[in-house]
Amino acid sequence: MFPAVDNYAFQLYSQIMKTFWRVFLILLGIAFLIFVFPYIKDVLILVIIAWLLSVLLNPLVNFLEHKDLRRSWAILIVMVLIIAIVGFSFSLIIPGIIRAVESLTSNLQSGVISEFSVKIEAFFEKNFNNAELARNVTEKFNEIGVKLLGSLGTFFKSVGSFLSSMVIIPFITFFLIKDGRRFNRAFISKVPNKYFELSLNILHKVGNQTSKYIQGQAIDALIVGMLSVLGLFIINLVFHNPIPYFIFIGMLAGIANLIPYIGPVVGAVPALVLAIFSNPPNLGMVLLWIVIVFIIVQAIDNAFISPMVVSKSVNMHPLTVVVVVIIGGNIAGLIGMLFAVPFTGIIKVSSSQVIWGLKNYRLDFSPRPEETFPVKSG
Amino acid sequence: MENPIWGDSIFKRKKKADNIYTILKQVPIFSELKNKELSEVEKIVHRRKYKKSEPIINIGDPGLGMYIIVKGSVEITEEDNAGQKKTLAKLPDGAFFGDLALLDESPRSASAIALEDSDIIGFFRPDFLDLLYKKPKLGIKVLLALAKVIGERLRRTNELLVQIQQKKDVSGSG
Repeated sequence: MFPAVDNYAFQLYSQIMKTFWRVFLILLGIAFLIFVFPYIKDVLILVIIAWLLSVLLNPLVNFLEHKDLRRSWAILIVMVLIIAIVGFSFSLIIPGIIRAVESLTSNLQSGVISEFSVKIEAFFEKNFNNAELARNVTEKFNEIGVKLLGSLGTFFKSVGSFLSSMVIIPFITFFLIKDGRRFNRAFISKVPNKYFELSLNILHKVGNQTSKYIQGQAIDALIVGMLSVLGLFIINLVFHNPIPYFIFIGMLAGIANLIPYIGPVVGAVPALVLAIFSNPPNLGMVLLWIVIVFIIVQAIDNAFISPMVVSKSVNMHPLTVVVVVIIGGNIAGLIGMLFAVPFTGIIKVSSSQVIWGLKNYRLDFSPRPEETFPVKSG
Repeated sequence: MENPIWGDSIFKRKKKADNIYTILKQVPIFSELKNKELSEVEKIVHRRKYKKSEPIINIGDPGLGMYIIVKGSVEITEEDNAGQKKTLAKLPDGAFFGDLALLDESPRSASAIALEDSDIIGFFRPDFLDLLYKKPKLGIKVLLALAKVIGERLRRTNELLVQIQQKKDVSGSG
């Protein structure tokens, strides 16, 4: 009787139902992810680390491929080289670190550092005339120290499980580098035609930008680490080795530098602590020079290295940094804290590319030819 | 020499028709490539199916790469100032379009719509740049062929321009 209205109502109903099912499926997907997340968290962390490694190693592989080497061979050569370097470094550093952490823990527990506590007590008594407060402070300091070093010891003792991850990570990394392009193509082949160019363009741009960002961060961490090692080496030369394991401490400072604002402070702490426990004759001067070295390294990083290698578009507010580091810590502990800021940087870079795509592409949301409904005649 | 009994069999023809090398060989920018080189190109192209009346590219969108029609036909259109669609060309099997987008991201100067259900190959700038870096010899071959295609088009445009100018001069002096 009213064919036009009938047809319109039919189309509207179908569209509403389609939208309803899409939203329902998306919500179901999110609920499923939240449900399975605790079970897949560990695997997910391994995959993310492998992906970060694949992004870092890809330029080397591409370079060898550019030199007429088959891609599989290029990946094998790069990975064997990296595994050999990392394995050799670990075999040199890790046993020493475990010994150092264990000896520091026993020192704290056996009260060998009571000399240091006495100094603090004397300082408080002289300046604040409160020996009770001084005793409380040193007791708390001892407690925190033992706890911290205990957890650090556990971390390094779990190197066994860490090493088993070291087998899985290269395995995943190999296939991510080898078949990364195939994975992208498989994904893009499932995208509907009307979003095809947009998705392809965004995927390429996000890939490029994230690669640049991750590689920039890695170069920055490497240079900061090397500068810290150099600074600590000079202090060791001048003050007769007050900082043991200075290479490890320097590289740790480089890695901690991945976290802006907090990282540089965290990076300096192990050097200061180790210097205090090695208790050289001129401790005050050593501590002062350690602080100066880290300030100089940070100044060089902020003035020259960071602006050159890390994109300015990923600058983050200090509050954002603190929040994401806490969230990262809650999700994946120490590794989560370390990678929280780079990961947020990746999301920031990616979202800016998605926004660019949505602004520049004319998205036609009218139904596709097969989705259009034939108009009833009569 | 080809076997006279089996050479033109239905199986071989089917295989040949589906062979991406044959299709790519028809395109000027890939026509000089050897089979081994074509297999490298095959790894980076995207094969898509479009329904009748489905848009392939939209005018004004950032250019990303070129499309080759494997099967079907495509209409190239542009909009005038009043927003009216004007057909510029109808392209058959084997034709290609959007090749300028292999060089830069300038907005598309025309839209392309499938006139019938079509099978299309897309070859895109990021993959092309990747090819140029990883396989420079092959990349340069493709780049040179692309330059030839664009050069030829420019020559024809110049000739047309001269003809139009001459007509204008004649009508102006008359």
